[in-house]
Amino acid sequence: MEHWWFTARLRLRSILRRTRVEQELNEELQFHLEHKIEEGIAHGLSPKEARYAALRAMGGLEQRKEEMRDMRRIHWLTDFLDDAQYAIRSLRRASGLTAFVVVTLATGIGMAAASFSMVDGLIFRPYPVPQPGGVVTLVSTSHDSSFDGFSYREYLEIRGKTKSYGGVIANAEFEAVGFSAEPGGTPRIRGGMMVSGNYFHVLGVEPRLGRGFREDEDQAPGRNAVVVLGRDFWKQEFAGDPSVLGRTIRLNGRDFTVIGVAPETFPGMQLFVHPDFYTPLAMAQVFSTNRQKDFFEDRDDRELNVSARLKPGTALKQARNELALLAKDFEREYPELNRSRGAAVHTQFEMRTRDDDANWKFIVVFAGLSLAVLLVACTNVAGLLLSRARARTREITIRLAVGAGRFRLIRLLLTESLVLACLGGLGGIAIGYGAIQFLLSFSVPSELPVTMPFQMDARVLLAGLALSVLCALLCGLAPALQSSRADLVTGLKAADVDVPGRKRLWGRSVLVVAQVSMSLMLLMASFLMARGFQHSLLEGTGFAKDHLLMVKFDPRLVQYSPAQTQQFYKLLAERVRAALGVRSAALTQNPPLGLDGFDGVAFVPDGFEMPRDRESFTSAMDTVDEGYFPTMGIPVLRGRAFLTSDTGDAPRVAVVNEQFAKHYWPGADAVGKHIRLDNSTGASVEIVGIAQTVKYRQTFERPTDFVYMPLAQHPIARMVLLLRSTADPLELVKSVKNIVRALDPNLPMLETRTYEDLYRYSAVEGPGIGIKLVGTLGAVGFLLAIAGLYALVAYNVSRRTREIGIRMALGAASSDVVRLVMGKGLVLVGMGTVIGLAMGFAVERLMNSMLFNAGGVDIVAYVVIVPSMFLVTMLAAYVPARRAARIAPTQALRYE
Amino acid sequence: MSKPNDLVQGTLDLLLLKMLALEPLHGWAISLRLKSISGDVLQVSEGSLYPALHKLEQAGWITAEWKQTDNNRRAKFYSLTRLGKRQLESEAANWQRLSSAISHVIQLSEA
Repeated sequence: MEHWWFTARLRLRSILRRTRVEQELNEELQFHLEHKIEEGIAHGLSPKEARYAALRAMGGLEQRKEEMRDMRRIHWLTDFLDDAQYAIRSLRRASGLTAFVVVTLATGIGMAAASFSMVDGLIFRPYPVPQPGGVVTLVSTSHDSSFDGFSYREYLEIRGKTKSYGGVIANAEFEAVGFSAEPGGTPRIRGGMMVSGNYFHVLGVEPRLGRGFREDEDQAPGRNAVVVLGRDFWKQEFAGDPSVLGRTIRLNGRDFTVIGVAPETFPGMQLFVHPDFYTPLAMAQVFSTNRQKDFFEDRDDRELNVSARLKPGTALKQARNELALLAKDFEREYPELNRSRGAAVHTQFEMRTRDDDANWKFIVVFAGLSLAVLLVACTNVAGLLLSRARARTREITIRLAVGAGRFRLIRLLLTESLVLACLGGLGGIAIGYGAIQFLLSFSVPSELPVTMPFQMDARVLLAGLALSVLCALLCGLAPALQSSRADLVTGLKAADVDVPGRKRLWGRSVLVVAQVSMSLMLLMASFLMARGFQHSLLEGTGFAKDHLLMVKFDPRLVQYSPAQTQQFYKLLAERVRAALGVRSAALTQNPPLGLDGFDGVAFVPDGFEMPRDRESFTSAMDTVDEGYFPTMGIPVLRGRAFLTSDTGDAPRVAVVNEQFAKHYWPGADAVGKHIRLDNSTGASVEIVGIAQTVKYRQTFERPTDFVYMPLAQHPIARMVLLLRSTADPLELVKSVKNIVRALDPNLPMLETRTYEDLYRYSAVEGPGIGIKLVGTLGAVGFLLAIAGLYALVAYNVSRRTREIGIRMALGAASSDVVRLVMGKGLVLVGMGTVIGLAMGFAVERLMNSMLFNAGGVDIVAYVVIVPSMFLVTMLAAYVPARRAARIAPTQALRYE
Repeated sequence: MSKPNDLVQGTLDLLLLKMLALEPLHGWAISLRLKSISGDVLQVSEGSLYPALHKLEQAGWITAEWKQTDNNRRAKFYSLTRLGKRQLESEAANWQRLSSAISHVIQLSEA
């Protein structure tokens, strides 16, 4: 060890203090030489003779020095430093070219780095726990969903009966919770999560302060009101005060004792949200959202995400088989609850790339496109470097002629492109950082903070570095190989000579074709996305968005019973309807195109022969009151909307949308038909009306089934009040506040805003970010391709100046020259267009299947893009051609 | 390249280490000392001396220091490091083993 450390220091010295070391080398040899000369003179030689004799005895000073340098074994590095120095000097001389190349590469690398950060954030970044690879997710699967959770009962059985895992943990959904640090304070909304008692222990997360949960704290429902705080929450709310342990805080009106604080390194297992606190599952009564089900008993209350840590040495396959068998047992024991319900074990990667999630798909498409931009940038730079290499033919042939090795020369040229790429990489990291900041600057208007998992971290920097090196190779290798192959004789004779043969031009033509096709594809992709999205916006949502104020309430925050909650909403609706400036008012569980997902409902259409392996169908649903359809302006096409007479004691009713009616009763009237909830023996609900199908989740979604239930018959605690105003909806805020205060001064009003505000974010700006991103990529790619094409044709022209002069001297007209020069560009652009069209078509298919779910080919996109692309590229070829035709023959002939 | 053809490979290192174990010396002094100790039997070309010293220095066996000589000139004085001492011991032991083995072979009677 000591040895290594010693020599490393020496090496470092010879690297960092190179001149000093060299100087010492010189001095030492000189010292020897002088003594030797003195010795010679003492022996009677003349000073001159003595000097020669001494040099002879040494066997050549320079050779010795070179040998000694070799001894230092840092040759490769000093050579590299020399090359880099030389490269920097020669690049500084060609500052225009350098700047262009660096900017081009920076753009490409920046885009790629930003998209890598997104791909990494959404897909690859491991869980923030020790040995993240061993953590797998267990899901319940059915006909309608491959990613269901498990119920509490099922979780306990999985935990007890499986042997593949070192521990099985569960967590409920991240949820809005009313928090107050003092018992008397007005609750504020923070995000918390219920977790199993073994959660921290199994994940290997050591609390920063205090302790994690004990097993026994998660056994008796409602017994242990303990809470572990998230790190950020602890810092924000308690200023990082360590005496917070043992304190009491109030969550949803119940007192909890703080027992620990999660560590810095553990922001939580979720991508977009970081829980402010964790509570045991056993405290579910305080948090559970679903009042219809009993969290602890109902086996079909599948609210829990179940994860597990594989035992070391246990294969994933083993675990999968084991769970599949267990799911079979469940199905046998509870046929009516678990019919054709299976279970699966997924790795982190499989969970992040799940089929039903659009985010990662978009990001992957985006990453692919940005790699295409990087490729275009690289081809551009490669083309420029090729031109530069040609201009340096003489320099290179001289180097070869005086004995530089070919490998050494390639290294020199590659070092040059590496210097360029590193500069580009630095710029790229700056651009990438900017792009990420741009993404992060979009705040999601929800009551709980949503964090984008994108950041400029070491992983992204490393990727940027790797990309730079890759770029250096991509754009430097071909020019380096080609120019080092130069023919010595011709190279020395003429200053500006191309090796005869097609090879060199062929490579360049491929570059142009690649650029044209790639940028065409990029343009198509961004155009298609923008148009698809625009189209969906123009199509309309099917309901009125203007003059709407929304306020969210959650009476659980002040510990209302279900009956109190019902009473509160009844009074609230009555009073706001009477308020001045309110045209109509409605209550809904979720407004359409909102940020929270709709609940699902399992049902069996009455008289429907269910397939043998299915217990029920499912559909998205919303719970609304009688004011909803008129307030939102959603027409009820047949039958009736909800009425005040649809009370809890009246026969149960539902309104379905047109899509639903057509789906289950094609060609018949769905009004008057019944559905049974959960399964064929469940409660019967009469369909009393058919509402028009609107957009529910996204503006670009396909028509989907939808069911509405009346609030009085399907009580929900957390509802959104929608007010249609006669004037500016925000003017109503004050009167709503007064009404709520009169009902209960402690009840917080959550997310008070206009509906248009929400719509703008969730339907316009959110997807708009994506379109802007892809559009930027398309524009950048296109610009790069044009620049590349222009450079190529201009280069060709300059190379053929003499030839053109001869042709014109012999009588060629300038139009002939234009044709001659453009001919090649035309062919290349044509080929690029064809290939680009094919790729664009493929991308359209891909995007349709992944994002827009729309069929058909967007003819307009092709009609607009292809000719304009063709025109612009032709122009890029025409300008230099035109210039060539204007050259006076006398001047051209004199041109070297 | 000026390999010490007339020296068994690696012996030069041993000689240098041994010499520097006695006292710190500069290059010129080493070359004089080499000549005087070994006479003409061990001819070390002056050229190969410095690369050899350099190698030992890079290996961390000897270390160098610039000091004034007796006649007031600056010279690079080499001295043995702790590591070099160990190296010298092991190389000397090696040499002893080798030479005794070889002399043993040579002394075998031809009968």
